[in-house]
Amino acid sequence: MTDGESAPTDAIGFLTVVEHDEQGLIGAYLILNSSGRPLEFHCTAPVKPTRTQQILFGPTLDSYLIGEQIGQTLLASASAQPLALCTDVERGLLVREYTTLPLALVIPPAAPSSPEAVAPADQTWRMDVSHGSSTPLSVFEVGRNRLAVPGGRTEDQELLAARLQGVLALDLCEPFGRIRDAIAEANHSVRT
Amino acid sequence: MAASGLTSQSRAASLHSGTNRPAAIGAKNMISWRPSCEVQLTQFACESVAPDLRLSWVGALACPPLTNSLRLAHGSTPKSLSLSIKPASLRVSSFRFPHPGSWFEALRAPLGGHAAVGDPRSLDRPAGATKTRISPPPHVIKLEERLFYVLQPALESVLGDASLAMPFRPFPYQLDGVAFLYPRAAAILADEMGLGKTMQAITAVRLLLRSGELGRVLFVCPKPLVSNWQREFAAWAPEIPIAVVEGEPAKRRWLWQQTDTPVKFANYELVQRDRELTAELGLEFDLVVLDEAQRIKNRSNTTSQAVRALKRKRSWALTGTPVENSSQDLVGIFEFLAPGHLCDTMKPRGMGRAAAEFVLRRTKEKVLSDLPPKVVRDAEVELGSQQRASYQLAEKEGVLRLTELGDSITIQHVFELILRLKQICNFDPASGESSKLERLVADLDEVAASGRKAIVFSQWVGTLETLSDRLRHLRPLVYHGQVKPQHREAVLEQFRQEQDRSVLLLSYGAGGVGLNLQIASYVFLFDRWWNPAVEDQAINRAHRIGAAGPVTVTRFLTAHTIEERIDQILREKREVFDAIFSDVEPQANLGLTQHEIFGLFQLRCPSGPVALPASVPTSGEASVMPAQ
Repeated sequence: MTDGESAPTDAIGFLTVVEHDEQGLIGAYLILNSSGRPLEFHCTAPVKPTRTQQILFGPTLDSYLIGEQIGQTLLASASAQPLALCTDVERGLLVREYTTLPLALVIPPAAPSSPEAVAPADQTWRMDVSHGSSTPLSVFEVGRNRLAVPGGRTEDQELLAARLQGVLALDLCEPFGRIRDAIAEANHSVRT
Repeated sequence: MAASGLTSQSRAASLHSGTNRPAAIGAKNMISWRPSCEVQLTQFACESVAPDLRLSWVGALACPPLTNSLRLAHGSTPKSLSLSIKPASLRVSSFRFPHPGSWFEALRAPLGGHAAVGDPRSLDRPAGATKTRISPPPHVIKLEERLFYVLQPALESVLGDASLAMPFRPFPYQLDGVAFLYPRAAAILADEMGLGKTMQAITAVRLLLRSGELGRVLFVCPKPLVSNWQREFAAWAPEIPIAVVEGEPAKRRWLWQQTDTPVKFANYELVQRDRELTAELGLEFDLVVLDEAQRIKNRSNTTSQAVRALKRKRSWALTGTPVENSSQDLVGIFEFLAPGHLCDTMKPRGMGRAAAEFVLRRTKEKVLSDLPPKVVRDAEVELGSQQRASYQLAEKEGVLRLTELGDSITIQHVFELILRLKQICNFDPASGESSKLERLVADLDEVAASGRKAIVFSQWVGTLETLSDRLRHLRPLVYHGQVKPQHREAVLEQFRQEQDRSVLLLSYGAGGVGLNLQIASYVFLFDRWWNPAVEDQAINRAHRIGAAGPVTVTRFLTAHTIEERIDQILREKREVFDAIFSDVEPQANLGLTQHEIFGLFQLRCPSGPVALPASVPTSGEASVMPAQ
């Protein structure tokens, strides 16, 4: 394998966080060209917050771990600059605080339309207001894909609609399956 | 989360940045409110907060501390516990993948865009259907390379790209074949004939070229099939520039060195002839694909040596018959793919296990539920009286001569007698009588009357010419090795296009591989070949994708003759194949021994094993067996 000479201008970034019962959080970032081919892949070592961190960061823990630690680190690792970012977990939207790129939550086609129910991976029930999504999500469609941005980021909606024109035929949910397979492959490789 | 477990009665974290300020911090500020490197825990009470708010972390922190509970005795300090939070350092593994080659980039601009949703070119399977993904094979060790394959999009997505338009929607099993070839450095695509090995190889090469993994590919195929490959490339990968290496030495030298055509074609004989030239030029290919790879099953022949001498990074073999005679055939092909991986001493089942990772073999029955049925019937005919007399005389004299040879007898002597007897089974040389012909004429008349078409195979040019003469009322077309190459395509086109040309006479060698003759509904094997794989090749000229209806195969066999005894050997060979490529247990020792060959005439064999010469006669035109 050789490094690419230059980053294409039509790349899209796919960022996700996978929660593993034993290992903790694993962040992964896949950059694809407009044909859906992989250009770069970055994944973090598992991150498991300590009890102290859980207590001291409290509700800011997700923002710290996913946004600042995982998201910011992954974005900094990439050499290609994509046009836009996508995530498949609502908590992934926390990364938006650390990047200038528009970031969309990709809603699976079968998911209910209610924005409140778009985070299947997040099983935590909160009795207070989540810091990561203190405002409701704004759902919109680009091509065949349903996307959402935090209500306070409506400017991203326009940016995403414009920047994703080149990938209208792509299923933006599909790359996240590849990412999970890649994480499983990497885990398997480490174990063997 | 910690917040959900805290109440006003629990210990709350007071986060210091010089002074105690928890009461001043509101919920809105909390997102940017982070612990400093050191904290002190102080107990707070929050009696005045409403019960519903006590449940939350926010509520707890929003409460001012009760100062009276913190009053300290003069001169004493509160007990405190210091915790430090180490700045996290997160390890990231990064992988970067190759970009498409420059010639492909040039192609993209004018072709850009994607097949729209609902576009008939779109290969997307229905929602919920499994898509075809590329899996890294076991021999790929480096994680970076494994991830490269894992992270490739589903083939349906890639091939749905408008710039990758395909003339027909591939079958799912064909996409599986592409996914099998794509990541492999060594592979045999051994699908049964007619399942589209050509298309699968072209598509895999096309994707690898476009992904930048390949830049220089050489296809080696039998000479008569070069034009067929050109046509298939034009259909399945029209944007890929190709070149055929041919012509005078100077021209070939120039063609070999061309770098602007990523795909080159050469026939086996040319590769053999240009062996020194390719070595002198220092040519190295990213991939060499052998079509009809059974051509190199004999490791000692010069073709095999020349092909194996080609410098290459990847090696693929396409063949519907990886085992024609014995398991040693497969060892021969593996010497090209992965030298030393298989050896002659392996038992069939062990060899099958060792080869499994490299071989993809599908049969029509397995993957094509909608392919028209193939009806096989063995037409057993009795020799006519004159034919029988000639046969018995030839056999009696032949066996007598063989017996007289004593210990000087060779396998060549036996084969000469076999060929002589087989020819008499076709036609009596003295009277021209032929029981097979009588039956064939009746059948072909019926075929012609029904408006259908038939192909007739024989191993001898002489037999085909005789048939052509005796069937002249049907105006048969003839296609064999003595037909000039420039006329061959015209013959096939006449057969395909002209309604009144209902019969095509073919030799096994020239017509047994690579031809698409789906228009024929009937196949006749006038005489039998030496191994069932070649017969299957012949049958599948008609019974393949695109066949409009059932294909009826008639295998002629003259009763109580050498043909009957050979048929028994062919059945046993098929069992050898099954032992390697399926879980079927071998029924017995199925290798063809010298003892068995001599046993055709109840002769005593001198000593030692010998392989039946599968390459005999390789072109179907030879009338004598080569020396073994």
